[in-house]
Amino acid sequence: MSGRRRFSWRSSGALLGLLGAAAGLLIFGDATTVNWRAASEAALRKPAGGPQLVSVEPFPAMEMEGEMCQWTPASASEGLFEALQQGSLTQPATAPARASQDVDRAPVRQIRDTYATYSAIALDLNTNEVFLQDENLFGIKVFDRMTSTPPGAQFSEPKRMLVGDKTKLEFNCGLYIDPKTGDMYSVNNDTTDMLVIFPRNAAGDIPPARTLKTPHGTYGIAVDEGKQEMYLTVEHQNSIVVYRKLAQGDEKPLRTIQGGGTQMEDPHGIALDIKNQWLFVANHGNARVRGADGTYGRFDPPSITVYPLQSSGEVAPLRVIEGPNTQLNWPASLFMDEERGELYVANDANDSILVFRATDSGNAAPLRVVRGPKTQIKNPTGVYVDFQNNELWVSNMGNHRATVYERTANGDALPKRVIRSAPADKLALAIGNPGAVGYDSKRDEILVPN
Amino acid sequence: MAHPQIAAFARLAKENTKPNRLIAGQKTRLSRTMHDIRYDAVNDEFFVTNPFARAIMVFRGGADGEEAPIRVIQGPKTQLVGVDRLDVDTVHNEIYVPNDDSILVFARNASGDVAPLRVLKGPDTGLDAAGTLAVDPINNVFVTARDTVLSGEGARSRLLIFDRTASGNTKPLRVISGPKTGIIRVNQLQIYAPKGWLVATMPGFYDMQEPDGIFVGIWSVHDNGDVAPRWKIAGPKSLILKPRGVAINPKDKEILVADMRQNAVLTYYFPEIF
Repeated sequence: MSGRRRFSWRSSGALLGLLGAAAGLLIFGDATTVNWRAASEAALRKPAGGPQLVSVEPFPAMEMEGEMCQWTPASASEGLFEALQQGSLTQPATAPARASQDVDRAPVRQIRDTYATYSAIALDLNTNEVFLQDENLFGIKVFDRMTSTPPGAQFSEPKRMLVGDKTKLEFNCGLYIDPKTGDMYSVNNDTTDMLVIFPRNAAGDIPPARTLKTPHGTYGIAVDEGKQEMYLTVEHQNSIVVYRKLAQGDEKPLRTIQGGGTQMEDPHGIALDIKNQWLFVANHGNARVRGADGTYGRFDPPSITVYPLQSSGEVAPLRVIEGPNTQLNWPASLFMDEERGELYVANDANDSILVFRATDSGNAAPLRVVRGPKTQIKNPTGVYVDFQNNELWVSNMGNHRATVYERTANGDALPKRVIRSAPADKLALAIGNPGAVGYDSKRDEILVPN
Repeated sequence: MAHPQIAAFARLAKENTKPNRLIAGQKTRLSRTMHDIRYDAVNDEFFVTNPFARAIMVFRGGADGEEAPIRVIQGPKTQLVGVDRLDVDTVHNEIYVPNDDSILVFARNASGDVAPLRVLKGPDTGLDAAGTLAVDPINNVFVTARDTVLSGEGARSRLLIFDRTASGNTKPLRVISGPKTGIIRVNQLQIYAPKGWLVATMPGFYDMQEPDGIFVGIWSVHDNGDVAPRWKIAGPKSLILKPRGVAINPKDKEILVADMRQNAVLTYYFPEIF
């Protein structure tokens, strides 16, 4: 707001007052004089026939002080004199002039993480490469399997990466690498509602080789290579959709597993046991219940539900792993070791990897738990087992790292190698799809939900 | 989004600054896709939604770690369907929830499976997939809008302004709608009640990664019809790509904008509205 304009508005107010008083004298004449005299006498003053100081009263503060610029178009050239000449200020008050002001102003601060944050992980054992889903900067980074970031290094550079608008990668959480072709299947969890597929050596800002329109809120991916079928979990629908592996465009799913009887509740990770024809799903426990008066919500414990692989429709689980002994706490990705009958769980909010027997049911304790400060596991959401090299891989949302262990690691195990994409002391902010922001005026804090 | 959480940052935090607090874990009952958060300074509490479990959760203002909410509104009596956003009126002690074709109003301290105090619903309301809302206890209105519009749709969202106590099949007092408004769809809303300014995030078409027509718009709650916003924050200097969240900090005259395309919160000094 310029001082000049503010002065102009206030001056015009004063002049309006004077004009009004003069007009009043002319119009109302004696009656007004009588009233003034009476008022003066009441105040123990005598009429002097000329102006005298009656009282001093500052102009009232403008109702919207400091905000009046927007009422006057920036292009306005009319000054007070011109306004008075045109009589506009002597007309009855109307709604103030209204204008829109475009403001291209730089932010004074930004809260964001400038480093990669890894949601999912997969390996191509033909090329000895590890693929990491970067959900913060929306890309896929590819490292040599043996990459190991020295403790003093800032970070490791990837061999190549996919990133940019053309890739259509956004909130990419699930990842599958075709064991023969090396094609990358990337699940976009939110906003774009599509699966994007790239060839093995894709790099830079390139469009996907093909895309598949998927339901909103897809998360996990698993593929039955024998049947060439692709399974996706859908958070928003509490469902699994099964497509042809090579489906693209608007192709519809071959079948859907869905309904209250399935006990799927905010499904995340998915794993297949082809040998036993089982399907495993990790659930956060956000349930929807069909009642007599409609559908409502309910909080249930986290669980792993197991179904026959060829299920369709509203199928009850064969068994459910659930209860305090399981240590499940926001279970994310799953990985199946068919050979040994072991199910790996990236246990996000417990900073752990849990290993269950494939046949476990109910309130079962895990066979092994990888957890503790030496592990460097922090908010793990991706897990992969490399049977060729007997290694367990973990992608950690909480600390910009992928960590590698012996396949049989248990307890507070040291990683064999660490791929780190930020300085060691940087905690990942893990801001993801911030749809809202709040301000805590008591603590002077900014609240950011994912 | 792979990991749900609420992060609390110092107001002066910048790039890569650690949060002061992180609220996450099974006991918190949080889910991903939280599209609103409201801090109640009078009672030192904050409110969020869990759309998957159709619940409203209330936390201690200083909640930290894997801390459970102090109250939860959830169940068949609540009528909650797509509980995505909300606002809290700390003067009249009420919670407002846009609920697709209705607006539900609960007591601020409601807990459990409770019926709403009031329901606004019916053909005269003009409610169309109501997905966002802000309440103004001084000017006695609330504003609501549709939050999702796809690029292939001909329809556009509009700002419906109702009497604060409206219920039943009541018409809006005013409607801000039309080409001059620039509105495609509306995400989080805030009202600076002392001045009656409505601050609205406009993230453009839902299904486009970096759509055109994005901005943060500021109208008066007294505006009506096809009117442009009083201020429109956008442009290359603003760094805004897809604004979804907005909060205001009157003490420091700041507007905070959550940008989903950048996974970032941008803070603007904006004394004009305070």
